[in-house]
Amino acid sequence: MNEILRLENVTKSFKYKTAVNNISFSMKKGEVTAILGPNGAGKTTTISMILGLLKPTTGDIKLFNSQSQELHVRQKIGTMLQEVSVMPGLTINEILVLIRSYYPEPLPLKDLVNLTGLTEQDLKTRTEKLSGGQKRRLNFALALAGNPELMIFDEPTVGMDITSRQRFWQTINTFANQGKTIIFSTHYLQEADDNAQRILLFKDGSIVADGTPQQIKSRISKKAVSFLTDPEKSLEILYHHSEIEQIFRKNNRVYIYSDHTDKILELLFQEKIGAHDIQIESGNLEEAFRQLTSENKEAI
Amino acid sequence: MKAFQMQCKMEIKRVLRNRYFVFWSLMMPIIFYYIFTNVVNTNAADPAAWKAHYLMSMTAFSVMGSSIMTLGIRMVQERTQGWSTFIRLTPLPDHIYFSAQMVGQSVIHILSITVIFLAGAIINRISLTPMEWFMSGLWILLGSIPFLAMGTLFGLMKKVETAAGISNVLYMVLAVCGGMWMPLEIMPKAMQSIGHWLPSYHFGSGAWEIVQGGLPSWKNIVILFAYLVVFMLLSKYIRRKQEAA
Repeated sequence: MNEILRLENVTKSFKYKTAVNNISFSMKKGEVTAILGPNGAGKTTTISMILGLLKPTTGDIKLFNSQSQELHVRQKIGTMLQEVSVMPGLTINEILVLIRSYYPEPLPLKDLVNLTGLTEQDLKTRTEKLSGGQKRRLNFALALAGNPELMIFDEPTVGMDITSRQRFWQTINTFANQGKTIIFSTHYLQEADDNAQRILLFKDGSIVADGTPQQIKSRISKKAVSFLTDPEKSLEILYHHSEIEQIFRKNNRVYIYSDHTDKILELLFQEKIGAHDIQIESGNLEEAFRQLTSENKEAI
Repeated sequence: MKAFQMQCKMEIKRVLRNRYFVFWSLMMPIIFYYIFTNVVNTNAADPAAWKAHYLMSMTAFSVMGSSIMTLGIRMVQERTQGWSTFIRLTPLPDHIYFSAQMVGQSVIHILSITVIFLAGAIINRISLTPMEWFMSGLWILLGSIPFLAMGTLFGLMKKVETAAGISNVLYMVLAVCGGMWMPLEIMPKAMQSIGHWLPSYHFGSGAWEIVQGGLPSWKNIVILFAYLVVFMLLSKYIRRKQEAA
C-alpha cells in the first residue's frame, strides 16, 4: 500500500492531436516528482487526467488505489492549477475557513498563513481586489487547507516573484521531509533539479526519460572539448573516430562533442592537430535540455 | 453538515455584498413603490387595493430579478474564474454545493420579501390579514423557481458581460410586459395578449389574487410550471451540446 499513484498505458487524444501518448509510471509514498518538459509536451493534460478533470482516451489511472473522483481520494489530495481560481465576494480569510470545513482534518488556519506568506492585510482582502501574487498565495493555501497526503501542482511558480518562489519551495521541502508525496510540473530544468528526487521528462506527449535529476542531467548534457587551431588545418582526419558525436567550428574555435573527453584529448595529440588553448566543458545543461525537448529543426 | 452550513452562510454573505443585488432587489423596488403609490397620482378607483396590489408587484419584481440575475451571473463568474474546477477537486459533494446555493438564494428571497413588505406596511400602512401576508410571501418565494431555472440558462453563457447584459434586458422586458410596473389592464390590447402568456404576469397575478382575498388560479400555476419544465429541458440540452463540443 506504499503506492500512491499509478498510470498504466494512458493516452489522451483530442480531435486533431494526441496530447499524451501511452505513458505509464507510478509513485511511491514520500516521493517528490517533477514532470519536466517544454510547453505542449503534455504536462497539463497528464495532471488533468490524474485529477479526473479529463478522461483518458485509453488506459487506467489510480490514486490511492481508487478512482480520483472518490471522496476518500479527494480528502487526501491538494491541488494548485495553472488557472488561478478565486471565489468572488469573499475575503481570503472567509474562503480559507470555508474550504477548511470540507476536510476531515484540515491544517490550522495559523499554519496556512505562515506556510504561504499571507499577511494580516491579505486575509481581510476580498478576492476581487487581490493582485496576481496574492491570488497565487491564496491558491497555495487552498491546496494545503486539507492537510493533503498527495500534493499536485501544475506549474506552481508561474506568476510568483523570487521571494514567493523561494518560500514556496521551502514549504514544499518541509512537506517532503514530513513524508508527503508531491508531484509538480515545470518547464524549468533548474526547478526540477533543485526540488525533485525524480524527474519525468516529457516530450511530445511521451516520457522520454525517468530518473533522478543526476541521471537525467548526465543523459542530456553533452561534454565538449574545444580548442584553437590554424584555420587552414584540415580536421577531416578526426571524422573517422567514432567517439566524436559532433564537430564544428565557431569563431575560429573548434568544438567536439563527446562523452569521452579524455579520449578526445588523446586523439588531438595523436593526430597532431596543433590544438592549443584547449578547454573541456561539461556542457550547458539548460541549452542541452532545450535541444533535447525542442523540435529537431537544427538536425540538418 | 458543517460544510453545508458554512457553504450556506458564505453564499448568503456573497449575495448581500453584491451591490447590484442591494440596488436592484431592495432599493429600486422600494423607491418605485413609494413613487407610484404616493408621488404620482394613479387615479386608482380603490387606493387601498392599489397600494396592496402594487406592493405585490414590486416584491415579485425584486425576487424575480435576483432569481434571474444573481444565480446565473455567479455561475458564469465561477466558471470563468476557475472556481468551479477547483470545487470539483475538493471533497465537497456536488449536491451539497448545489443545495447550499439554493438555500442561500431562498434565504435571500425571504429577506427581500420581508424587507419590502415591511417597507410597504410602514410607507402606506397596508393592512392585510396575517394569512394574506404569509400566503403572498410564500407564493412569491415558490413562484420564483422557474426564474431560477431561467437564471441557470444565463449561467451557461461564456462571458459575464453577455450574461449580465442579456439577462438584464430580459428582466426589464418581463417586468414591464408582465404588468409589474403598471397593470396590464391599462396597456394596449396587443401588449395585454402577449403579457398573458408571460411567466412574469402569472407570477405577479398569483400574489395579486391573494391580497384581494382570492387564491392563485390554476392557470397561474400551470403556466409557471410549464415554463419551469421548458427552462430545465433547455438548460439540459444546451449543457449536453456544450459538453459534446
